[in-house]
Amino acid sequence: MTDTSQAAEIENDQETTIYDELPDAPPKKQLKLTWTGKLGVGVVAFWVIMVFIGPYIAPYDQAEILDMDSYLPPGAPIDGGGTHWLGSDKNERDILSRIMWGARMTVGISFVATLLAYLMGVTAGIAAAVKKGWTDMILSRINDAILSLPTIMLGLLIVVALGSSIPILIGTAAVIYASSVYRIARAYGQEIMVMDYVESAQARGETIWWIIFREVLPNAAMPLATDFGLRLVFVVLFISSLSFLGLGIQPPDADWGSMVRSNLEAMQFAEGWGVLAPIWPALAIASFTIAINLIVDDISAKSGGDLAKKMI
Amino acid sequence: MQRMVLQRILIGLVTLWVVSVLVFVMTSLLPGDVAAIVLGQSATPETLAAYRAANGLDQPLIFQYFGWLGNMVTGDLGVSKAGGAKISDLISGRLGNTMFLAGLVAIISVPISVGLGLLAAMYPGTWIDRSLTFGTLALISVPDFFIATFAVLVLAVQLGWLPAIANVAPENTFWQMARGIAMPLIVLVIVVAAQMIRMTRAGILNVMNSPYIEMAILKGVKKKRIILRHAFFNTIGPIVNVIALNLAYLVSGVVIVETIFSYPGLAKLMIDGVQTRDLPLVQATAMIFCGTYVILIILADVAAILANPRLRNPK
Amino acid sequence: MTDFDKNLPTINSLSGSDRETIETGLQRGATRREVMSWLIASGATIAVAGSIVTSAQNALAATPKKGGKIKFASDLHGPSDTLDPGLNTSTIDYSRGRAVYNSLCQINDDLSTRPELAEEYSANDNNTEWTFKLRKGVKFHDGSAFTADDVLYTMSRHYGEKSTSKAKSLVADVKEWKKVDSHTVKAIMSSPNADLPVILGTPHFKMIKDGTTEFQEANGTGPYRMTEFKPGVRSLSERWNGYWREGGNVDVIEITAITDTVARLSALFSNDIDLMQALDPKAIRKVENTDGVGVWSVASGAYFGLCALTDVSPGDSPDFVLAMQYIQRRKKIVKSVLKGQGTVGNDHPINVAYGADFCSELPQREHDLDKAKFHLKKSGVTAAQLDVAEVGPGMTDIALLAQREAKKIGLDLKINKVPNDGYWGAVWLKTPFNVVTWNMRPTANVMMNLAFAPDAPWNDTKWKSERLGKLLVESRGVKDAAKRHEMYCEMQRLISVGDDDMRPSGMIIPAHRNYVDAKSDKIEGIGRMPLGSLGGYEWPEFAWRTDV
Repeated sequence: MTDTSQAAEIENDQETTIYDELPDAPPKKQLKLTWTGKLGVGVVAFWVIMVFIGPYIAPYDQAEILDMDSYLPPGAPIDGGGTHWLGSDKNERDILSRIMWGARMTVGISFVATLLAYLMGVTAGIAAAVKKGWTDMILSRINDAILSLPTIMLGLLIVVALGSSIPILIGTAAVIYASSVYRIARAYGQEIMVMDYVESAQARGETIWWIIFREVLPNAAMPLATDFGLRLVFVVLFISSLSFLGLGIQPPDADWGSMVRSNLEAMQFAEGWGVLAPIWPALAIASFTIAINLIVDDISAKSGGDLAKKMI
Repeated sequence: MQRMVLQRILIGLVTLWVVSVLVFVMTSLLPGDVAAIVLGQSATPETLAAYRAANGLDQPLIFQYFGWLGNMVTGDLGVSKAGGAKISDLISGRLGNTMFLAGLVAIISVPISVGLGLLAAMYPGTWIDRSLTFGTLALISVPDFFIATFAVLVLAVQLGWLPAIANVAPENTFWQMARGIAMPLIVLVIVVAAQMIRMTRAGILNVMNSPYIEMAILKGVKKKRIILRHAFFNTIGPIVNVIALNLAYLVSGVVIVETIFSYPGLAKLMIDGVQTRDLPLVQATAMIFCGTYVILIILADVAAILANPRLRNPK
Repeated sequence: MTDFDKNLPTINSLSGSDRETIETGLQRGATRREVMSWLIASGATIAVAGSIVTSAQNALAATPKKGGKIKFASDLHGPSDTLDPGLNTSTIDYSRGRAVYNSLCQINDDLSTRPELAEEYSANDNNTEWTFKLRKGVKFHDGSAFTADDVLYTMSRHYGEKSTSKAKSLVADVKEWKKVDSHTVKAIMSSPNADLPVILGTPHFKMIKDGTTEFQEANGTGPYRMTEFKPGVRSLSERWNGYWREGGNVDVIEITAITDTVARLSALFSNDIDLMQALDPKAIRKVENTDGVGVWSVASGAYFGLCALTDVSPGDSPDFVLAMQYIQRRKKIVKSVLKGQGTVGNDHPINVAYGADFCSELPQREHDLDKAKFHLKKSGVTAAQLDVAEVGPGMTDIALLAQREAKKIGLDLKINKVPNDGYWGAVWLKTPFNVVTWNMRPTANVMMNLAFAPDAPWNDTKWKSERLGKLLVESRGVKDAAKRHEMYCEMQRLISVGDDDMRPSGMIIPAHRNYVDAKSDKIEGIGRMPLGSLGGYEWPEFAWRTDV
């Protein structure tokens, strides 16, 4: 699969300049962000920066047990200098530091897994739409099978069988969510394959890869982008739901979802503002995923939204 | 269309079979078998062998699979390899519970979500749309165990309005049942409605892009009419699809809600089955989930075709 | 019952004669002040004396009331819930078993035994033959009489190739079970064993009806008759009027599980359940400060262990094991992880809960990074992987603490968290460095025999000390207390320190934990037998409601 797509990319590169001039090339759309979109870009940029520098500027190591007490309230002083700005967690570690470290896990894993899911889902979906016949039949049945089983159960099966490591978590999330992407990609692929401009391209004798990259993909990009934002949220939640079953990220590594899970009990029995322990990582998740979706909203609903706005 | 439905049912049967193979292969890849899990820390090679012999686990795996398949086709789901109970007994009560809860959630959440989604799409960019977008995104992005636990701590422990666990025992009165099921109901409505609102809004705005809507606007048709008559009917297909997927999730994927509220449903049963490597149990629940999914998707497609006659004769 | 400190001794922790003196004193009208002064005169502190008297007064004031319903939530259940005593696994099974079945002998809070279905039992002089005289007039729930045949059938399920019993090794030294007459059976031993009655009091040896092979329903002689059993959902039992003794106080017992720890405690707070198993130690303060509920903590010998297999690297180096033992912050674990509800471990499985068999003379191993560094260097190990599953509440926290201390001595200890399901079959006893938890066993001998005997199938670290094996068998027949203590001390030293011929085992045992559960203040009659949750699962027969 990788070999052919690489080949296709090369082919594509060579031909770009020529075909850009052709009249049936997809129209380029100018992207202008609304204020919510800009807010989204700001928040995502913040977390992406955290991915790279978080561990270096965090006050403490993510695994550092500070020998104080569990679920200290925000602002609690630490023996020997320092402050738990967001309080301490179940294992007497600094929550702020763990959120900063956790950006790497949560943002990193969800991004990579969602991208991988798209790569697999779109490739397979378009392949099914273009090739039809047996390829479509086999891919679609396997896909239906995956889609019809609950994600948490598939996750349980794969992670328990193969062990819980970061590559396996990414792969598991990617395979599970690729099945939803496949459905969308295949549907759009089929729709576009019968469009006039594709038929005319076929009549011109263009190769199948030319059709995919120049016609099918650009036209399916918008609806797929809307889905991307939601899919990313689902991956973050999926990893955290694995932590509900005692799987997921290996301790002492921090990820926001399992931080919510493991500190959930604080809401029940921590004293004072220590009850906020699970709220901080939940806020981190919410800020990141909402920001992504605000950007996606601006990209995907742009034209439709504009039209509707015109009528108000 | 009858031909289409028939064809889809046949494909559904193939999917069921693929699922059974997939589940079988994956379950047998898991470390440890049901004997090792049941005997746990107290297992010895001797007792493991005895347990396997007593439960027919000493046959080759492939024999076990075809044995199961044969019985399944004749309607016999077998017995649990972990506790010896009949699978049909384990499932029957829980199936009802699951369907009851999923049905109630659907009845409440579908009208709310489609309505709010339409509202957001009619006034995009306004404060209504913005607050709905923020609200739904915030709810989608919070893990469901957080919402559920929060609800318990507030509604059951602090306020004492509702029981902390979803008591649905047969001896309960209707009022007890209603109170018992209220909390999982609230949490699930929140979880699924948020997503459906978003998809409805996106679907309608997507259709607003189409040339024929532009045509309608140019012709001077009123906005409400455009959205409710033209855009909405063309979006029914995708929306029904999202609703179907959410219903399938309500049947199979609500493990966390079932666990936190101790609600005896099928999703938790399947996880238990996987964790004890109880193959007949896992297979039976997988068949139910897959069957539900297949039926819901067929229904969604039929609904889409009925709503949009142009789809009846695809090019 | 919450007005005294759980860590202080209660009336139940006293020896039989002291206890009797105080109880009869109180019954005859001695005042609290008088009894306390006796106790203080005999060396007790005021707090200890106060605690003992309070508990004694509570126990006397408590005359069980009849009626009502108790709802109990355990921490685990599923399709593998079973009513087959031989396959019982978890608290939920044991509790159901206690409601519907009986044992031959019953275990007291101090781990001595008293008659249950066996009216009398005695051994010959050298403990090689035990005779059990069965109670007459006992009926099963189906109306049939309990006889010697039922005992023989029950016991036969713990022997032979086809037996799936989880406890067969405990009675493997009984060569033969013999029926003497319809109400007398004999156990012929292959080696002397003074502990057979207490072993028969453990949950796996509950008496079932001769010929029973199906366990979807329970036919026992116990105080409750099971009317509904749905594995993984719940069970209902009703008080049985044909019970052979006064017992079973409430009308209905509902047994279920709530697997989520927060949800389980919430259910107790909101009165949806009356009793719960496995209270998170971190929640103790909250429970104590909440009206209407209380903590039920019973000191026990249950322990957490890190197992370094002695036949592979890194555990094959005794120095590595020593390094891991010296980095354990035992007091910190008891204070922070167990919130005081436990005792420090000394790298052998016995603690003060085993009474006279505990070797208090053995020096306590302390946290010592210098020694740890020295031994680590000598072992040459620089990195290791510890496979961890949350097999007991706090296991992962203990591993995280070890990881952090290991870093200080230059050891890169990688923690590999593995799922609980499949742990016992795929990881424990198999991977080089893993974790274990053991419940308390009725005697120190049984405990060491299960987990350390050279031929034990569950020898955690594949450590084979023939000397220990010999001592285990010999000590069972010894009657002289001083001699017995000396032998038990040597065994604990062998495991923890080793001797000239043999290295110590690969076990690192940082702490023993109490069984910490919680209950509504409306429930009384929960015992303090330390072999399991809520007083060794004995509550179904004795618990009662104060508000009926």
